[in-house]
Amino acid sequence: MTNAAAPARPALPPIVFGGIRPRARWREMWLLLIVALTLYVGSISLGATEAAAAGKSLTLSPAEDQPLAIYLGALLLAHLAQVVAGRRTDQVLLPATAMLGGISLLLMERLPQSLVSQSFGGLDLGLGQVQLLWLLLAIGLITILSIVVRSDSWLRLYKYTWAAAGIGLLVLTFIRGEDVNGARLILVIGPFSGQPIELLKVIMVVFLAGYLSEFRPLLVEQDTRVGPLRLPPLPYLAPMLVMIALALGIVVIQRDLGAALLFFVVFLMLLYVATARAAYVVLGLLLFVAGSYLMYRLFGVVQDRVDIWWDPFKDPSGNGYQIIQALHAFARGGILGTGLGAGLPLVGGQPPIPAVHTDFPFAALGEELGLVGVLAILGLYLVVIERGLRIAAAAADDFRALLAAGLALVVGVQAFIIAAGNLKLIPLTGITLPVISYGGSSILANAVVVGLLLALSDKGVEPPPPPRAGRRFARLRDAVGGRA
Amino acid sequence: MTDAGVRSSISRLRTAGLRSGRRPVGQNVGRLGVTLALAFVVLAAGAGYWQVWRAQELSTAPDDPAVVAAARHVVRGQIKDRTGTVLAASRRDANGEPYRVYTDPSMSPVIGYASRFFGTAGLEHTYDAQLTGVLSPDPVQQLLAKFQGNRADPQDLTLTISLRLQRAAQRMLGGDKGAVVMLDPSTGEVLAMVSGPTYDASAVANPATAQKAFARLQADKDKPLLNRAVQGLYVPGSTFKIVTSMAALSSGAITTSTTYPQQPRAEETGLLVSGFRVRDGHHPFTDDRALNYPEAVEVSCNIYFALTGLRTGGARLADWAGRVGFGHQIPFDLPTAVSQVTNGGGKFGGGFKDAVEVANAAYGQAEVLATPIQMALVASTVANEGVEIKPQLVKSFSSDRDGTRTVGPQQMADVLTPDVAGEIKSAMERAVEGDFGKLFTPGAAVPGIPTAGKTGTAQLAAGEPHSWFIGFAPVDHPRVAIAVIVENAGHGASRAAPMAGDLMQLYFETFGK
Repeated sequence: MTNAAAPARPALPPIVFGGIRPRARWREMWLLLIVALTLYVGSISLGATEAAAAGKSLTLSPAEDQPLAIYLGALLLAHLAQVVAGRRTDQVLLPATAMLGGISLLLMERLPQSLVSQSFGGLDLGLGQVQLLWLLLAIGLITILSIVVRSDSWLRLYKYTWAAAGIGLLVLTFIRGEDVNGARLILVIGPFSGQPIELLKVIMVVFLAGYLSEFRPLLVEQDTRVGPLRLPPLPYLAPMLVMIALALGIVVIQRDLGAALLFFVVFLMLLYVATARAAYVVLGLLLFVAGSYLMYRLFGVVQDRVDIWWDPFKDPSGNGYQIIQALHAFARGGILGTGLGAGLPLVGGQPPIPAVHTDFPFAALGEELGLVGVLAILGLYLVVIERGLRIAAAAADDFRALLAAGLALVVGVQAFIIAAGNLKLIPLTGITLPVISYGGSSILANAVVVGLLLALSDKGVEPPPPPRAGRRFARLRDAVGGRA
Repeated sequence: MTDAGVRSSISRLRTAGLRSGRRPVGQNVGRLGVTLALAFVVLAAGAGYWQVWRAQELSTAPDDPAVVAAARHVVRGQIKDRTGTVLAASRRDANGEPYRVYTDPSMSPVIGYASRFFGTAGLEHTYDAQLTGVLSPDPVQQLLAKFQGNRADPQDLTLTISLRLQRAAQRMLGGDKGAVVMLDPSTGEVLAMVSGPTYDASAVANPATAQKAFARLQADKDKPLLNRAVQGLYVPGSTFKIVTSMAALSSGAITTSTTYPQQPRAEETGLLVSGFRVRDGHHPFTDDRALNYPEAVEVSCNIYFALTGLRTGGARLADWAGRVGFGHQIPFDLPTAVSQVTNGGGKFGGGFKDAVEVANAAYGQAEVLATPIQMALVASTVANEGVEIKPQLVKSFSSDRDGTRTVGPQQMADVLTPDVAGEIKSAMERAVEGDFGKLFTPGAAVPGIPTAGKTGTAQLAAGEPHSWFIGFAPVDHPRVAIAVIVENAGHGASRAAPMAGDLMQLYFETFGK
């Protein structure tokens, strides 16, 4: 038999070392090049503005070239690592995330550095430097996860373990946590401190993907008949109630409304993806309305947030101050923005919006980059969502599909909640703008999301483990109430 | 359940499970994607709302941090009167930081102050963004400003005020509390706006004296920081009869020849309305003749207007008062208090409690409260053939970069038909120039120029009444309308009317007949 007679096979790249076959990623490279160029131009613009503000003559050199160079260098390394690893993973996610991270870096460099100060081994770092550090770690995390994670069984098989770990984390936060602005958000263990809620959202998605993919057939096809009503199978709605209880728990224990909203919305959306049953969504929304009303009546913090949202101008120098300042910032930006570094007029040496680096980076970017910039940022998040959902649609089985969709949702819905809060479309909640807000927990959690999405997007992935048919059959049998 | 039944239901479930397991979630994911995309479109719309629709309003608000920050360092534009006399200019202190100096204290209620410590007030507050150059009145320049090195382009303001008239009005008011508003009925340009007592705004603006001066002003019982011309709410007394006339004549409740047989006798005994007696002074010159409309205006007959108010009805009275501005915030360069015909909430119609309140309100008592600028607009509307022009204080903005941009007149409301306006006009002329009018309103007539007007003597629960006059001249083609109120100065005729006459005379001396 000659080579010519053999069926046409895609030529595999040559093996360079061990089992590794490098594979060029042209699309990712070009996109990263655009990202690098855009960020470089942004940095030059920032540099020129800062020079002008300091009374120096106009220069066309970047503000501080070192951090951006380091960041872009890390991106190049990440890209090369992907090429060498040779996995057939998504080529858009990394550039899109890198752009968001780069915007974050420019913004944090531009804000007063004194907003954050940490010292590592005698080295005092300001806001921009700390953020750079987190971003570098995030790039590393994305790279490692996207290359190393090949099997998903460690996520799939231990969903209850993950759920237990998540609840344990929550309880630990309640017992050991520290309060920030009346919300119990931070957990300190030894030298490490972080916001467990960020990790929790990933754990939640893993659990939900596992649970829903296992019970999907039942949830889709079965009904509980109560008189003339056809309701979803009630026993399998238990997790829904657990989730609502968890969301309520987060509010009660942590007074963290944004996270509760995020969890609940992502849960409902995943439930819909798994079942395509509008009844679940309607039921969930009804419960949501009832729960919201109850919380509004019971918790002062909820009431305050809603009242401030309804009419911030009632108390412009007190409760309404933050959001009013944010709206003014958007207004000052207008269509084209003031330019990087030219917005956020200082009030007493501080930017007019408190917590601008954690809760209001969207407003700050709205001012400096204008409506055009806002639309671009929203577009970037949509790209991340679109890639995630695309990976979900192309996934080999339900678990992977739900996991990918859930991970994309966690980013998209969180971005929506905080952006809508900044724009006074919904009451403001103190959650972070994914990848852009300052903060290690948030950035690393989102790096896990992106890393997992990349790993899931691998087209040459090993097949999912065989379904455990015996157990499923038994459960089905129980469900119809037979004794076969 | 039989074995076969169980088996079939299991197999049904299994195939269903397989079907749904095999059916990709892709379609659901697609719907979800559309939902999220729509959610982000909502975000984009929200951003557009704040960044385009509301952008100008918010970013130039006086409490916007950018405006506040600019105000500290930018040398503000000058403010001039209509002839170009500088009213507000800036100087630099020892540190090189600018502060404001004001030419004449009579302008303080209008211009206000810009203080490093106490913020801004008056026009300095309203046009903070323009004076500091954060905002250009020209939208194209506003957009281009982003690309220019020095973004601040302070605008100079030229006011419609004549400093000469302003000073004269302040001098005539003397130490009394009160207000004067003079405006051009056809353009709405405010020629003078005085509020007494006034204060020295330079002392507030000067960093060296600011603390002490401001503390003293705040403690002052006479409230000099209150601009009475736009913020003072006064019982208008008989000047309000013009508003009642608008309602009655326009709605057809009366004509100019309407008389009330019971009116002459009621002047002796009082008019019985629902068991309450509306009393009035007697007019000895009119004998027992029942007066028609112009005669009633000429002698300012309360009984006639009480009866007219009752015939018009509360609802129509409130409606027409609303058309001329009562019950609304008058759009103006300074914040205005809302004038009212009643406290509202009554069930009688138009918010009145009962017939007694309507009868009393019709001649400007009861719960009627009006700002001087509102009453000036009443006179101005009659003068301008029923068309109410929006009052304005700024004639033009100008800067080196943008050149000059003039603010044109804007119609506020079409209140009266020219016929009704003419009927009220001639009645008001009789009130000043008629045989009895000359007796009741001496001193209001401008020599050689036909003048129209109406006095008011606002009875108060305690103390001397407020002295009111509203009017305009010349009657045929009015060029100036005026409202004068002097607090607790007695009859309208004794204080306000002669002041108004002198001021209008000065207007014609200054700007020609």
